[in-house]
Amino acid sequence: MRAIFAAAVVACFAVSATLPVASFRLPAAGFALPAAGLRLPASGSAKVGVIRGRVDVRIGPSADVRPDPASLGMGNTRDAQDRRRSVVFLESFPRGAFERVPSDRHARMDQKNERFVPHVLAIAAGTWVDFPNGDRTYHNVFSLSKTKEFNLGRYAAGHSESVKFDQPGIVRVFCEIHSHMNAFIVVIAHRFFATTDDEGRYQIDGLPPGTYSLSVWNESIRGDPPKRTVTMGDAGDVDAVDFVIR
Amino acid sequence: MLATGWLTACLVMQVLPAGPIETGRGTVTISGEITATAGEKDQSAYFNFTDYEHNALRMFRLSVSGMWRPSPRFAFLTEVRSENVERMIPYALYVRVRPWMSRPFDIQAGRIPPVFGTFARRSYGTDNALIGYPLAYQYLTSVRPDAVPANADDLLMMRGRGWRVTYPVGNKTPGPGVPIVTAYRWDTGVEASYAGETVEGAFSVTSGTLSNPRVDDDNDGRQLAGRVAWHPAIGLTLGASGARGAFVDRAIVDAYEAPLGPHDYTQDAIGVDGEYSRGYWLVRGEAIFSRWALPKINMPFIDRPLDARTAYVEARYRFTPRLFAALRADTLGFSKISGQRFFGGQPTPWDAPVTRVELGGGVNIQRNLTLRTVVQHNWRDGGRVHERTYVSGQLSYWF
Repeated sequence: MRAIFAAAVVACFAVSATLPVASFRLPAAGFALPAAGLRLPASGSAKVGVIRGRVDVRIGPSADVRPDPASLGMGNTRDAQDRRRSVVFLESFPRGAFERVPSDRHARMDQKNERFVPHVLAIAAGTWVDFPNGDRTYHNVFSLSKTKEFNLGRYAAGHSESVKFDQPGIVRVFCEIHSHMNAFIVVIAHRFFATTDDEGRYQIDGLPPGTYSLSVWNESIRGDPPKRTVTMGDAGDVDAVDFVIR
Repeated sequence: MLATGWLTACLVMQVLPAGPIETGRGTVTISGEITATAGEKDQSAYFNFTDYEHNALRMFRLSVSGMWRPSPRFAFLTEVRSENVERMIPYALYVRVRPWMSRPFDIQAGRIPPVFGTFARRSYGTDNALIGYPLAYQYLTSVRPDAVPANADDLLMMRGRGWRVTYPVGNKTPGPGVPIVTAYRWDTGVEASYAGETVEGAFSVTSGTLSNPRVDDDNDGRQLAGRVAWHPAIGLTLGASGARGAFVDRAIVDAYEAPLGPHDYTQDAIGVDGEYSRGYWLVRGEAIFSRWALPKINMPFIDRPLDARTAYVEARYRFTPRLFAALRADTLGFSKISGQRFFGGQPTPWDAPVTRVELGGGVNIQRNLTLRTVVQHNWRDGGRVHERTYVSGQLSYWF
C-alpha cells in the first residue's frame, strides 16, 4: 500500500513538473499578418511614429530563495527580484521588420551579487548575449529551454562566456550552483519591442502608419496575455497604450 | 506568414518550476523535495542500510523545508522529512541570528546542521552526485552508544553486522550500530559560524556526537565540534574538521564507574575535505579518522580505543546541459584488536573493512526533475556477505 501511495505521489509530481508554470495560450489565429501594404519607411522618412504606454504589474518583488536549513548562516544579503519588468512587442508588424541582425550584435547579462542583471533581457533573434561573472565566486550559467539549451560550465570572476540566440522564444536562465539565480531572455524575431523601465513605461519607435496588435510578456502572467490594437495614422505617435497585470 | 510561428514559441513559457512558495509578504518561504529510489531488496548484505529498516538505495523520501524570516537578523528554519511514507520527523528546527548585519557571523540554536565535514550538509537528492552515500556518513559499524561489548570477542563476533548488533552490556535488544558521521539525523545545540571570502569557520556545542546525534541527552556530555575552510582560489575549497563528545550511554558509564574508575567514553574525530570545480568538472573528497573509547570490562580486553579510517573521492562531469556522469570510490578500515575465540587470537580489524565503488549517470529532465541510475559494488572483509553489486534508479523532484 505504501509503495502504491509513494508511486502515485511521485507520478503526480512528475506530471506537475512537466507542466508549464507560467504559460501563454494564444488563440489559433492569434497572429495578425503584417498589415497589408505596410512597409518600413526608408531611412530618413518622416512618416514614422511611436507607441508609448505603461505596464502596471501589481505583484511584489520576490527573493526566490529556497529555505536553506543545511546552511550554517544567512549567506549574502541579496536584492529582491524585480518581477515587474515586462516586454511589450508587436504581434503584427510592418513588412521589412525582419531585416538581419548584424552578426556581431551583443547584449549583456551580468552576474552580480548572486543575481542575473538584468532579470529580464529582450533581444532580437541573432543577438549574442555575454554572461560576465562579476562575483568572487563561481557561477555556472545554463538553460534547459527548448528555445536554447546551453551550459557554460563554471567560470570565475572576470571571465565571460557568450551564447548566440537564433530562435525566437523565451529562454529561462539559471545558475547551477546558486538555485536562487534566475533570469529570462525574451528573444523576438523582429525589432519592434521594448522592455519596461523602473516605472513600467515603454516606447516602441520607428513604426509606419497602420494598425498593430500589441502584446505584453511578464513572468507572472498566467493564461492569455493582455493585448491592445492600435491604429497609427499619418499623424504619428500613439500614447497611453497601457496594460495592467495582476 | 513569415513569423507566424515565432510568437507561439515565444509565448509558451519554459517548463520550469515557480521556485519556493512565498507567503507572509515574502517572510515565509517553503520548499520541498521528493525522491523515489528503486532498487532490489537486500535482506542479507545490508551495505546501504541507514538503520535496520531503511535502505538508501531503495527509499521514498519526502521532505519539506520552511523558513520564516521576520527581520533580516532573525530566521526560523525547519525541515521535516518522511522516509518510506512513515511519520514526518523534524530533521532541522532552529533559530538563526545575525547579530551584526555588516558581518557574516551567524548563531544558530536548536536542531542544527552539523559543522563537521561537508557531506551531511548536502545530502539532499539534488546535491548528491550519485544515489548512495559515502561510507563515512552511512555505513553502520558495529559500535552502539547504548550497548557495549564486554570483551574483544563480543566485538569481533559482530564484525560486518552493523545493521543488527547485540552486546551483553547495556541495551540487549538487537539494534543498528552507528556510522562514523550520520547524515540522517542532526544534533541539538548551538553553533556559531563566520563566512569570510577566503576563510570560513564554524564551531558547535551539541548534546550528541557525530555518530549519535540526539535531541535528548543520554549521557550529560557535550560534543564540541568545529571546521575551518580556506578558499585559496575560486572553485577550490580545503577544509579541516574536528569533534569530541561523550558517546556511551549514561547507564553504562554509571554501572562501570565504580569498578573501572571515572573515564571519558568519547567519540573523537578529525577530518579533512576538499572540493575543486572548473568548467564541467566537480571533484570532491573527504578523509575522516574516528575513535571511540569503550569501557574495558572483561578479558580479553578491548585494550585500546576503536579506530576507524575512511576516505572517499567523487567526481562529476557534465557532458551536455542535461546529461552527467559521476563516480565515487570509497574505503573504510578499522584498527585491530585481539580476542581469544576468533581468528586464532590474532590481531584483527574490529569491524569488517569495506570498499565501495559507485558509478552512475543521470539526466536533468527539467532543472528540478532529475533521473539517475547507478551501479554500486561493495567488498567487505567479513560478515555474512562479502561482496555485492547493486543497481538503483532514482527520480528526484524539488521546488
